[in-house]
Amino acid sequence: MTGDATLLELKELDKSFGGLRVIADLDMVVKEHEIVSVIGPNGAGKTTLFNLITGIYRPDSGEIQLDGRNLVGMAPHKITELGIARTFQTLRLFLNMTVKENVMAAQYGHTKVGVLRSMVRTPGARREEKEIHRLAEEKLGFFGDRLMGYRWDQFAYSLSYANRRRLEIARAMATQARILLLDEPAAGMNPRETHEITELIGKLRDDGGYTILVIEHDMHVVEGISDRVVALDHGVKIAEGSFEAVATDPRVVEAYLGLRKTETK
Amino acid sequence: MEQPPDTPRIGVDEWVASVEGKRERYTGPRGAVLKRWERLPPAARVLVFATPAAVFPFLTSGGNLFRYGLFTLVYALLALGLNIVVGFAGLLDLGYVAFFGCGAYMYAILASPQFGNHWQAEAAIPVVVVFTAVVGLLVGLPSRRLLGDYLAILTLFFGQAFVVFVNNANRISFPFVGHADLTGGANGIANIDPFNFFGYRIDSTRKQYYLLLIAVALVLILLMFVNESRTGRAWRALREDPLAAEVMSIPVNRLKLLAFVFGAAVAGLTGAIYGTIATAALPGDYDVGLLITVYAIMILGGFGSIMGIVVGAMIVNNIPKLLHSSANARPLFYGTILLAILVKLRPWRLLAAELGGLVAFGFAIHGIASAAYPRLVDGESIGSGVSARALDHWMLFPKNPVKIADVAYILLVAAIVVYPQLSRVWRAVLLPPLLYLVMFVWENLLLVHIGGATRLILLGAMLVALMNIRPQGLFGTATVEIA
Amino acid sequence: MNWSLFFDLTVSGLTLGSLYALIALGYSLVYGILKLLNFAHGDVYMIGAFLGWYALHALGGPVNPTFTGAVVLFLMFVVAMLGCGVLGVAIERFAYRPLRNAPRIAPLISALGVSIFLQNSALLIFGAAFRDYDTFDLIGVKTYNIGQLFFSVPQLLTVVAAIGLMVALTLFVARSRLGKAMRSTSFDREAASMMGIDVDRVISVTFFIGSALAGAAGVMFALVFGQIYHFMGFIAGLKGFTAAVLGGIGSIPGAMVGGLIVGLAESYATGYLPQGSTFQNLYVFALLILVILIRPSGLFGKAAISKV
Repeated sequence: MTGDATLLELKELDKSFGGLRVIADLDMVVKEHEIVSVIGPNGAGKTTLFNLITGIYRPDSGEIQLDGRNLVGMAPHKITELGIARTFQTLRLFLNMTVKENVMAAQYGHTKVGVLRSMVRTPGARREEKEIHRLAEEKLGFFGDRLMGYRWDQFAYSLSYANRRRLEIARAMATQARILLLDEPAAGMNPRETHEITELIGKLRDDGGYTILVIEHDMHVVEGISDRVVALDHGVKIAEGSFEAVATDPRVVEAYLGLRKTETK
Repeated sequence: MEQPPDTPRIGVDEWVASVEGKRERYTGPRGAVLKRWERLPPAARVLVFATPAAVFPFLTSGGNLFRYGLFTLVYALLALGLNIVVGFAGLLDLGYVAFFGCGAYMYAILASPQFGNHWQAEAAIPVVVVFTAVVGLLVGLPSRRLLGDYLAILTLFFGQAFVVFVNNANRISFPFVGHADLTGGANGIANIDPFNFFGYRIDSTRKQYYLLLIAVALVLILLMFVNESRTGRAWRALREDPLAAEVMSIPVNRLKLLAFVFGAAVAGLTGAIYGTIATAALPGDYDVGLLITVYAIMILGGFGSIMGIVVGAMIVNNIPKLLHSSANARPLFYGTILLAILVKLRPWRLLAAELGGLVAFGFAIHGIASAAYPRLVDGESIGSGVSARALDHWMLFPKNPVKIADVAYILLVAAIVVYPQLSRVWRAVLLPPLLYLVMFVWENLLLVHIGGATRLILLGAMLVALMNIRPQGLFGTATVEIA
Repeated sequence: MNWSLFFDLTVSGLTLGSLYALIALGYSLVYGILKLLNFAHGDVYMIGAFLGWYALHALGGPVNPTFTGAVVLFLMFVVAMLGCGVLGVAIERFAYRPLRNAPRIAPLISALGVSIFLQNSALLIFGAAFRDYDTFDLIGVKTYNIGQLFFSVPQLLTVVAAIGLMVALTLFVARSRLGKAMRSTSFDREAASMMGIDVDRVISVTFFIGSALAGAAGVMFALVFGQIYHFMGFIAGLKGFTAAVLGGIGSIPGAMVGGLIVGLAESYATGYLPQGSTFQNLYVFALLILVILIRPSGLFGKAAISKV
């Protein structure tokens, strides 16, 4: 399934906040149709990495390339339009909009009808509006009956935690992105829901055709989904490879447990 | 706790959904109406308002049409524009009234003896609207970098700057042109032409009313269409969470500017129409009082609720005007207080006791005062009729109420601040004297100044109270977060 | 160059600046803790001026004061500061506290409501006419000079008192227990309350201090310019906020420097720029825009890193 074409490439990425180096000299490659997990202890720079890729922060130096095109300096909405969409660890849905509207709003980038045309509802505007509805329903349909039917017209604030996470993913999909950046998609979920999310991420790649970069703490999820795992600590890549290789890497174990080797015996 | 096996447990999303589903579903006759209302297409909703409004001129006199009808529509149109900026896009624009002023002045410059221009309306209106839209664009530019509060202060300053400018622009010497009396200074620009559409003059109150009605209906429908479009959703998304919106491919800065531009354009249009109604553009018309009024309308109606705004305009315009005559003011004021007490006080025994206590307290105070301090009762209430004369035997009316009423007013404000902090028992005991104090201040001070400060005092108090009780406004469903 | 004009403008600029700085401090303190733009602050300042006036007349008026001039002045300040402090606490209790968890627009609207309420209450009670302070008999009309620097007693008093109050405030915030509680509350309100800080009390104290400073500024304004009216709070509040923003909102030294900059800019604009006496407010406005666009966080403010 995994193709060879490089989709996203980070080159010597650097980012500091007030003297604290959060991402240090990071190189990374994500290939088409790959699922790459980023793991690491709290404060390792995982979310900062996402913020850099999506353009919320600007790197101090280095390059971020999508299909060979440098994204550094672009506005976040431009980057999303080019094909990178994300979810938020802390969940940032448009709470006072309905479930369907959330997904429809995310289609702004690839739709065109201007405000004047929508004011008078030209035939073209109606056609595009219909298409937006159709795509929103299709994306929501991806989650089985979880986000279907009567839920479309419910406000996002009325959704359960797990459904909010699902809606965030649906919203990211609706931007017509090629790469989804999922920030802890299984956080706060019960075991059954975690299992569902694991399956869902596989399905996103296999049926949806997305390339996925995911931050996750739950090692069962990481093991279940990853083609490749990248471990970060203090902004430095300390290990990379298959789940087994990374999980048993002594530096990774040390970073997570915070123990020196001499003390582990 | 034992639970039947079939009901989902708390925390599981089916449970949450079912509870929310129940809450969302409307019940009772009110629910039936609301449900029906939501199913109506936009044009039909507008008709529900427009039909009675279209009949209104035939039922009333010219003066009433001017006072109640015309101004309600002006306010509604103005608030609709503000709603684009604040309600949809969540930008706190406190200079909004200046765009209204820009519209009036621009039209005055194009169609009044000031410069001898007498443009036709079909040419002047587009120019005015485009001009104010451009001004809106310029004022909106800093919004790219500013967050809510900073934008608020900047726009407030802009509104102030506008007033200073039009007050003094008659003294400016412009480069190239030389001295030109652009705005007439403090005297404003008088004798503005009525609209002249291809020779058809909109010169009577009734014609102006219908023109405004058409404008309001048109803007209402356009806004409803935009609200359900890609742009409308993007505005609401940006109001909810600008960062998430940006990451979801929405160009936040461009949309902010767009909101500013459209808000300003609507305000400019309203300004031009207002200019023809008032036949003058005066610098004093575009001050903070108007700003507060328009905000009150939008807030009362509910942020982002287009139809709520029309209702809000009716309330905010007409109630103070009804208050102008003391014959209307008394029933309105006391009716509101009575209603609040009826809603708040349960059970009915307590309610009866409080009201009885109030009546008894009044007679007791009046009795003591007429025995010991006759100065306090030798005046009489405003107005005539049985109720006014009856009040004389119960309420204190000093002959020269100014000083004592001032003290009572300050006391009342202090009492209202302290009252909610008291324990239940004290609140129950002190309610009759508090109500008596309210009535005393109302009768001796507020009613006297009913044409002046009272209106804005009540408006200010209403804003604070409304924010405390229902921050989303009467008809708003969503709470608005400013960007 | 006309040095005497320059010195005159500088003196009046410093006086105005001290007033703006005092008002700005109130904005900054409140904003630092609640992230709330307290629109009613300018009106508290206006109320302060009127309280001073009432105190003056309760003490026998400017011509036949009950005590010597210095005591009367002192009592005027005490009444205005205490009264405004209590007013500020009451406003917070009634109009802002119930809205602490509401969307941020709610307290802003509530603040607008309070502002319009205070302004028109003042109109109702004090009337629309200007009131004269007439304190010349009390203080004297003599001007003093250092070289070409001419100044009147109220001007000197304003600058000195403003500096004194600011030093006191800085020491209070830096040293006292309550000051430390204020700083930690402004840093993270939730964490502070978990550390056993009575956040409600800290906020009340903040409002008290900020409003008392505004009250003092109101009396000083009246002493320098001699006249007060019910609408005076609006523009002064606007300038005070401008000063707070210029200096970096939330920063105490920023508010002081910002106030002085706004005052001096206004004064120099009046003297040197074309039609400055008419449009000095527009020039201040232009300055505000310039600073905000170049450095949105103000001169002393720290650029916030938004946590995503």
